[in-house]
Amino acid sequence: MKKLGIIVVLSIFSFSTAMAQLVKVDQEVFGMDCAPCAYGLERGLKKMDGLQSVKVSLNDGKAYLKLAADNDLSLQKIQKEVKNNGFSARSAEVTLNGELVNDGNKWSVSVNGETFKVSLDTPDDILTKLKPGKVQLIGRVKDEEDDGLSNTWNIRITEVL
Amino acid sequence: MKQTVLIVIVAMMALSKTYAQGHGPLFGLQTPTLAEGGVDFNAVAMSLATEDDQSFMLRYIWSYGVTEDLQLNITTPTMINRLSDPPRTRGNSNMPANGDIEASVWYRFFSNAFGVGKRFESTAILSVSTPTEETRGGINVSNSIHGAISTGYASRTWYVWVGGGYQYYFEKDNDQLGDLPYASLVVGYRPNIFMGDYPKPDWRVFLESLAEFPGASMNEGQISPVDQRGKKVMIGPSFLGLYGAWGISFGALFPVYQDVVQGSQERYRLSMNISYWL
Repeated sequence: MKKLGIIVVLSIFSFSTAMAQLVKVDQEVFGMDCAPCAYGLERGLKKMDGLQSVKVSLNDGKAYLKLAADNDLSLQKIQKEVKNNGFSARSAEVTLNGELVNDGNKWSVSVNGETFKVSLDTPDDILTKLKPGKVQLIGRVKDEEDDGLSNTWNIRITEVL
Repeated sequence: MKQTVLIVIVAMMALSKTYAQGHGPLFGLQTPTLAEGGVDFNAVAMSLATEDDQSFMLRYIWSYGVTEDLQLNITTPTMINRLSDPPRTRGNSNMPANGDIEASVWYRFFSNAFGVGKRFESTAILSVSTPTEETRGGINVSNSIHGAISTGYASRTWYVWVGGGYQYYFEKDNDQLGDLPYASLVVGYRPNIFMGDYPKPDWRVFLESLAEFPGASMNEGQISPVDQRGKKVMIGPSFLGLYGAWGISFGALFPVYQDVVQGSQERYRLSMNISYWL
């Protein structure tokens, strides 16, 4: 009975960690030049549910976000918050768990209602190893116009974990 | 000196109960607007010295960001010592130098963030003011409107803002204060020693310049016998320190050219601004 309980707990744990979600986002921010700018952005980002930690660097021009387990944050929501603070959200390096699917030789990953289309400039050695199903990967999400954000992104995968 | 110390103490006391803003130059026009939903508060101590007298004023500004490009402001004064014949000036270009209550809208109509810490942006300002005194320099003083446009470049190292504005006073009881066109140019620099990353403190130094061209006033329906504009150019340094949600700036302007038609000559302007982003 005890073993069964442990198995159930481990199953739930492994299921939750494998859920489709963003794990980490290093968001490039353009136009942020001062301490109150960073303070305002940091505070705005912290108001979002589902974050474990936020760090903003003026010198790097980046917001470093670690997301909590079972979060339902989207990259669109993060970039919208950057825009609301008066800055421009550019490309982002993301770590994500998602469901990799192949549709007509085009790969994409679905995460929390967002679709990350795998771009063709992903290195061949990574592309050839992709398999449909659950995946955790790191990639660079390409910049989209701040005024035209949608739930579809292009991602250049740099590492499959 | 005693009065100056008093002003600083009163300003600090005010800040212990409320909070304040001030992001760019102290005297010149600037461009930054608040984040959507952002609120900030500025408490300012200002003084203007002429050859005859010196004014002291505390001023408070509440600002609210409707969107990241649209900001509402309201500013109210506490006059400690009023000049009987004050120069017509904006004093601080983002607020009246005299005892006006002013409400303004800032609209950042252009913004281009093109690099880490770098952006070009342009902001338009429209304000309405109502005086807290009956007369100014013997002229009945009325409500006024003010408009300005400013454009600037900001980076982690260099800042430049250039702008111009115009204030128009309405007629009251056959009197009318002359209008006030003005322009400002500000260059800012942050030395390497203050390039520490957030949340370390962040200091900048500005060289500010302000040119004002006050028009002749009308008294009892008669325009001044000398119907020409005054000309004044003022230059001076200001310093801005930022730490987290707090900002403090202080500086002075000194006249380098004055051709005053009405009123007395200026000797200097002082200002200190404490800001808090709520």
